[in-house]
Amino acid sequence: MPLTLLARLGWRNLWRYRRRNLMLFMAILVAVAGCVLVSALIRGYQYDMMADAVANLTGNLKVMAPGYRADPSIAHGFNLDPAFRPDIPADELIGWTQRVRVPAVMLSERETRGISLIGIEPKDERTISFLGSVEIRGDGLVDRDDGRILLGVELARQLQTAVGRRVVIITQGADGLNREAGYRVAGLYDAAGTAIEKAYAFTGLRPLQKLLGTGAITEVSVRLRDDRFSVLADSRLAREFDGLDVLNWRQLEPQAAAMFELADAAILIWFVILMLALAFGLINTLITAVLERVREFGMLRALGMRPGSVVVQVVMESVSIVMAGLVGGITIGWGLIVYFADGIDLSRWSAGIELAGLRSRLVPHLLWSDVVAVSAMALALGLLASAYPAWRAVRIKPLDALRR
Amino acid sequence: MVVLCRNLSRVYRTEAVPVHALTSVDIDIAAGEFVSLSGPSGSGKSTLLNLIGGLDRANEGEVIVDGVALTGLNEAQLADLRLTKIGFVFQAYNLIPVLSARENVEFIMQLQGVAARERRIRALAILDSLGIADLANRRPGELSGGQQQRVAVARAVVTEPKLLLADEPSANLDSTTTENLLELLRRINVERGVTIVTATHDPIVMRYARRRVRLKDGRIVADELVDEEIAAEPA
Repeated sequence: MPLTLLARLGWRNLWRYRRRNLMLFMAILVAVAGCVLVSALIRGYQYDMMADAVANLTGNLKVMAPGYRADPSIAHGFNLDPAFRPDIPADELIGWTQRVRVPAVMLSERETRGISLIGIEPKDERTISFLGSVEIRGDGLVDRDDGRILLGVELARQLQTAVGRRVVIITQGADGLNREAGYRVAGLYDAAGTAIEKAYAFTGLRPLQKLLGTGAITEVSVRLRDDRFSVLADSRLAREFDGLDVLNWRQLEPQAAAMFELADAAILIWFVILMLALAFGLINTLITAVLERVREFGMLRALGMRPGSVVVQVVMESVSIVMAGLVGGITIGWGLIVYFADGIDLSRWSAGIELAGLRSRLVPHLLWSDVVAVSAMALALGLLASAYPAWRAVRIKPLDALRR
Repeated sequence: MVVLCRNLSRVYRTEAVPVHALTSVDIDIAAGEFVSLSGPSGSGKSTLLNLIGGLDRANEGEVIVDGVALTGLNEAQLADLRLTKIGFVFQAYNLIPVLSARENVEFIMQLQGVAARERRIRALAILDSLGIADLANRRPGELSGGQQQRVAVARAVVTEPKLLLADEPSANLDSTTTENLLELLRRINVERGVTIVTATHDPIVMRYARRRVRLKDGRIVADELVDEEIAAEPA
């Protein structure tokens, strides 16, 4: 097959019908740029959501005693060997920590609120959870023996308390009896959403264990560098914690996981809608382009060009336009992503976006697999939309084609 | 024989009645002949030409071109046969609009896989012999009808096919250009030994042919050889 000749014919025919081809090129460019930019924004939302879910004390993986999720009390705690270190390669692991998390009632001089009281290892916690990145007014907790308490800004507002003031905690001890203790407020953390600030109060691991009358913990949380490592890490932790539950963030945060998968579906739906819209224009234009050249194809075949070569020539023309549109569209889409690299400010709609699980600044996140997917879709569309009518055209006998 | 046609029939099915374009035609054409197929419109001359060229298929009978029976060939094989053995000159020139005159002439050689340098030399030589070498880089849209037909002839003969089929080659040409074209075809026929079969109802074209076949209602009604001195005699 004389590919050089076909390429030359294809290239010159592109310029022969330059206005139509330019329109086609622009349509593909806009569709692809739209696919790339919008998929990057949805991915940004998706990955922010996952990062928030993982950072909000969930981690990629968590070890808990069976029954703790249904009844999160110290009765469903477990003992951790002081020498324990998770058997996960260092290049896959950001960090890990142990916690005691129990439901409690917090009282100030004026108000009472139900909360989750969490005993932590402050140093480890800062490595793997949002406590490492939030702004703290006052002091953070120093170490596992720190007997002060760290509250969210919103909880402090509702309790009408402040840094340096005392609050009282009532919770159930390991023996089933209520325990009560006073804590001085060390600081107030300012998280991304008020829901977190209202829900969690932190103190040192040891003082809380002492209050509860136990040396047990309720969870081990592990943060990985990439969620793709969680499958292997899950099986390693399951071996180390025989009889305990090892759960990933999707199991722990099913709503966030559902939203994560919804984002995948949203991207696919967006691709399909744009590609369908493009398909109507593309197929119509390419079929018209082929059918108006049936006579020319008949002439080429009368001169000795094989039917297959005619189809290849038509496909080369179409694929050239699609490729040019793809390259242009990806470049423009990528350019827009670079332009919005610092994120799009959504703070004007802060109330709504918090409900939707969005951050106030949406940063696009480009996945090359999305670019490959949209490229494959556009190329397949171009191939089908040109090969099929070309194939139909060469089935017409050369003589009939020449008579048109 | 370059062409053998045996008991050739072609019927076109129309909505009203079947049209018998050719009925039981037998004709043999030897190498080096210059044959004109003439007759009124609908007599079957173009149909016969198209069947010989493998552009159409007979309902009955057999066509053999240079020893190859066309009946059993598929479209790709027919295309290969046209590429290697047959040159076409169409009434409407049928040049490729995006290629220059030289590239049009090179087109068939390129399909045949002739090297670029040789293609170029042969294309320029034939364009020169037709007196249009200075138009080599012009595209068909920049050429007159006569110039385009010369390029079409150059394209058809540059690969020295066994058989040159010309369908109404003078239909869009004035008489002077027609005479020039026919002189050219006669030269190709005599000097290169290319067998030429042309369908025409132009008396000037018929005058150049040494064998004149006349058709009527799909049948051959006359088949005569003309003395070489008479053929191509000026009107």
